[in-house]
Amino acid sequence: MLTRSTLAYLALGAFFGFILSRSGAADYNYIQGMFLFTEFQLYGIIGTAVVLTAPGIWLLKRHGRTLGGKPLSIELKPGHRGNIYGGILFGVGWSITGMCPGPILVNIGEGKVYALAALAGTLVGAGAFGALYPRLAGLFRLPPLQVGTGEG
Amino acid sequence: MHLILTDSAPIPWFVAGAAIAAVTLVLLYAGNRRLGVSTGFENVCSLVVRTPYFTRSAISGSNSWRLPLLAGLLLGGVISALLAGGWETTWALGRFDSEFGWGNGAKLAWMFGGGLLIGFGTRLAGGCTSGHGIFGLSNLELPSLISTVSFMAAGVVTTNLIYRVIL
Repeated sequence: MLTRSTLAYLALGAFFGFILSRSGAADYNYIQGMFLFTEFQLYGIIGTAVVLTAPGIWLLKRHGRTLGGKPLSIELKPGHRGNIYGGILFGVGWSITGMCPGPILVNIGEGKVYALAALAGTLVGAGAFGALYPRLAGLFRLPPLQVGTGEG
Repeated sequence: MHLILTDSAPIPWFVAGAAIAAVTLVLLYAGNRRLGVSTGFENVCSLVVRTPYFTRSAISGSNSWRLPLLAGLLLGGVISALLAGGWETTWALGRFDSEFGWGNGAKLAWMFGGGLLIGFGTRLAGGCTSGHGIFGLSNLELPSLISTVSFMAAGVVTTNLIYRVIL
């Protein structure tokens, strides 16, 4: 299973995880500081990432091809009521734990024991969401099951 | 302010932001993938739960890259701890410890509860900080703007309630 592609994604994830670990993005105090408006760090990180990624995506779309020469394809996320309500639930969870999805894994890697409980909760939450999808789809006017709420 | 892990200052925000932009663009240019972490939790669920939601092609077709990316995030944390002076388990949670003063059991329950909201919420929203906040905003997608404003506002309200009203 250890193909070159698997190793490449593993390496990219490790680089991403290291940056999250050392930047404050996976640090409880820095997350609370962001939400309390007492620490600029996380706003600077997200802002810089968006300001640099946006023109990059624009240029790649103009180029139209991947490194391997295939047509570039970016699947757009659908709009639905879950964007707001799910966002609110996630924001509360982010504040409670001090972790968003990537940093949950980073914190476990760092040896922070309580992050295992956050991961367990996240998997149960995602599992419950999938199990309840047919019922939630009506409530939040979600796209058909095969489409989903948006991958990312 | 120092990081809990290293007890030293973090790397500058513009370096971290540029590195995350590089990760996002490499993933798109080399892999033809849009950055996103939260769907990966569904990929993990799909390994054990075989209901229609978890066997749909968007999940089964992305196991091959999302699972190694998630494993990589974990590995990045391990490497960071090793380079910071050695890997060891810790319960340290910074401000939470000094203001809540809870034991380990209560901390686990708090984290599990928050995790439930993260797992359910990110999947209902169709993305998290990376998929909506970084990629979606950078690609000027309206649903991502709506979600990002929602989770940032909810985080601001919750943390302010906790640390400025309740405690």
